[in-house]
Amino acid sequence: MLFYNLIVENKELLKIIYALIITIICFFIVIKTNKLFKISSHQGIRYLRNAFLFYGMAFIVRYFFGVLHFHNSLGNIYSFLIKVFFESFIIMAGFFLLYSLLWKKLRSKANFSSLFNKEIALFYGMTFVFVFLDFIWHTGAFMFISQIILFLCALIISFTNYKNNGKRHKFLKFYFMAMLLSFTAWILNALAALYFDWDKGIMMGIYGINVIFFLLFLYGIIKVTKIK
Amino acid sequence: MTKKRERLEVIRDILNSIKEKRKIKPTRLLYSSNLSPQMFKTYINELISKGFINLDIDKKEKKTFSLTKKGFEFLSEYRVIENFIENFGL
Repeated sequence: MLFYNLIVENKELLKIIYALIITIICFFIVIKTNKLFKISSHQGIRYLRNAFLFYGMAFIVRYFFGVLHFHNSLGNIYSFLIKVFFESFIIMAGFFLLYSLLWKKLRSKANFSSLFNKEIALFYGMTFVFVFLDFIWHTGAFMFISQIILFLCALIISFTNYKNNGKRHKFLKFYFMAMLLSFTAWILNALAALYFDWDKGIMMGIYGINVIFFLLFLYGIIKVTKIK
Repeated sequence: MTKKRERLEVIRDILNSIKEKRKIKPTRLLYSSNLSPQMFKTYINELISKGFINLDIDKKEKKTFSLTKKGFEFLSEYRVIENFIENFGL
């Protein structure tokens, strides 16, 4: 109970540390995947890199705004900034993660830019609509629903990949686990926000799951790129 | 029926053919690559533009391909890349 109280009392500080840890993990993943993309020009690696670039940007924004909010420098605009920047980057990251699994099936061709092209413009458009609707209705429902659907799709694809090639490629199991964790985290997030008034216990559980999600990817990237 | 080679596998095969001979003539490379002349040209142009191979022309106007440092780097990293793509289901 004492430990729980300690966490609750230092909630804002812990949120900043949490954002910083995830930012560092994401940028490490971006550097590693970018190196592999530069050599191979593989589109799947490119979109996976972009996913973690957006996750990294989301959490760096959360870190900086969190620090400013901690020192009471942002006042009322904190929630507005978080809504616009954090939410946009998180939704885009989800799109990129799913697209990294789907691009081959959609027969998408290599574009000069993976951040600005016709296919990705659709993601930006959808992200803008979700963030705008969440903003005017003072909710996060559109983000939650979009992410739950995205991760459900990613969960199904990763499970199929694991069933087909899991024996030969060990990380596919962990990839599926990561998708399952993130899917669970988004459902809990939606429940906490929409029905449980951001219950602290649920939120701490979500932070824990999210850290495991990013650590799983970090583990996979270190382990897989180590093999020569 | 043999499985269609993936883009990266084709690149690996072309680079390996050049690596084995150190210098290889375009016609010989075309035969060993097992590609249509049109596809071969596309791949070769891509490999030259990416700096994986060099097109050398000697005094007698004879053309040969050789591997660059980046080409050698790709071959040594190929297993890592292949492993990464398969393990992440990309």
